[in-house]
Amino acid sequence: MSFAFKLLNREKKLEDCRPLFEEKKYEVQLKKLKEILKPLEKATETGLIVDSDKCNGCGNCIVVCPVHVEKDPQGAGSGRGPTISDPIYRIENGKLVIKNMHACRRYGKSRILCVVCRENCPTDAISFLEG
Amino acid sequence: MICTACSCLCDDIELEDGKILNACERGYKHISEYRQNRAKNSVNGKELDLDKAIEAAAEILKSASSPVIYGMDTITVEAQKLAIKIAEKLGGYIDDNSSFCLGEFVEAILKKEVPSATLDQVRDYAYVIIYWGTNVYRSLPRHMSKYTYYPRGAKRNRGYDEDRFLVVIDIRKSEIAKLAKKNAKFIKVENDVELVESFLKAVEGKASKYDVGGVIREMKRADFNVVFGGLGLKYGLKGNYGLFFEFIRKMNEITPLYFLPSGFHSNMRGFNETLFETVGAVNKFSFSEKKSDRAFEFSELLRRNAIDAALIIGTDPVSSLPYDVSRNLMAVKKITIDPKNTLTASISEVSIRSALSGIESGGEMVRSDGVRQKLRPIEKTEYDDVYILKKILEGL
Repeated sequence: MSFAFKLLNREKKLEDCRPLFEEKKYEVQLKKLKEILKPLEKATETGLIVDSDKCNGCGNCIVVCPVHVEKDPQGAGSGRGPTISDPIYRIENGKLVIKNMHACRRYGKSRILCVVCRENCPTDAISFLEG
Repeated sequence: MICTACSCLCDDIELEDGKILNACERGYKHISEYRQNRAKNSVNGKELDLDKAIEAAAEILKSASSPVIYGMDTITVEAQKLAIKIAEKLGGYIDDNSSFCLGEFVEAILKKEVPSATLDQVRDYAYVIIYWGTNVYRSLPRHMSKYTYYPRGAKRNRGYDEDRFLVVIDIRKSEIAKLAKKNAKFIKVENDVELVESFLKAVEGKASKYDVGGVIREMKRADFNVVFGGLGLKYGLKGNYGLFFEFIRKMNEITPLYFLPSGFHSNMRGFNETLFETVGAVNKFSFSEKKSDRAFEFSELLRRNAIDAALIIGTDPVSSLPYDVSRNLMAVKKITIDPKNTLTASISEVSIRSALSGIESGGEMVRSDGVRQKLRPIEKTEYDDVYILKKILEGL
């Protein structure tokens, strides 16, 4: 399980499990694992996936984000576009763009599983790896 | 800059390194595609210079016996005033999209039949926020994030899940209805009139068809509540506007409840207010008969073949009206003033290319709540709606 968590947290890569690649008997498992882990390629380090096709730039996610409310109370926290230089999200050309994922509450050692942005997206354009 | 894609008139749009920041998808397309599909100055399909097209337009209007001026919801207040002057000088009809959009709601607010508020007040003070017959995710994408449910306000600074109560009333589970989760209620409505009656009964403590007692209780807890009414409410009321306004007034006897229209073009309210200040009516007005009447709605005039010339400004009736109505335009001499080569422009006897308000020309527009905004264009062209309409007026 520990290796699985490390895989999801990007601390390990599938290639770090050498028997999986070296022993022919694990061929089927390797194929299946690659398939399962495919969404990881699209996800950020916090497990966030943004589907731009579903996003219409309503900005709910930006305004509800607790980090934005704390750092930018007169900007994003009050409904305006972010006025800080390093917001987590911004709307660029009508779509949600991730600017600074390291400020997200889901990032780092003391992370928490915050899903406020996902919960307030009307079209499920935001999702996380954990579902 | 201020985005003029819808009546939110978002004032925090920035341009940076070739990117448009903070605008929703609708706003982004409006701003980024402004150079595409532009109209040409033409008379009977032949490309001519602007002055010749203006001359031809004035000639058509002068020789018309029953002209109409229609549209104007996407142009500035300054241009709207000139369009009203043209209609007055011609003794013609004047109407905009609000006659089939939310004109009745704006009229009730301007006549002070219902209490209203600004979106800034909603952000700062509103507790119960009701969206009735409107899916702002589609029509006004930033409405909830910029002005109503999500932003922290002066007296609502603990966030939406503690400081707001969201009610969404719709015939289907719309995108915004999906957001009605904690501290919220979704009411699936089958009959809007019965729902208004249910609210009225619940106010008196009587049992009703729809379970709205909880919403009334929440409203009583606060000193500021608001209803946003959209086209779903307008058409769902089937003309019973009085009953709905009665509900708002009754609620105000026990707790403050404000009403705001939700939807429409960038400056529809501007047209309603400008015409109201001039003649005391918000739309469908006849300057020869000096009154407003349903019979003077643009679509009604077309249906009855009651007009022989139409000055169509910043709207595309061929695309937006039913074919049964718009086909009658073929018997009318049409002058179109529009930045874009719309379907209506393409079949008009005279087509005049104008500037895009807010992008290529400045002026004033009125937000859906009545707050006036000075546009901050990124370019400036001399040949905007004001120039064109002034020249037509001089030519009459």
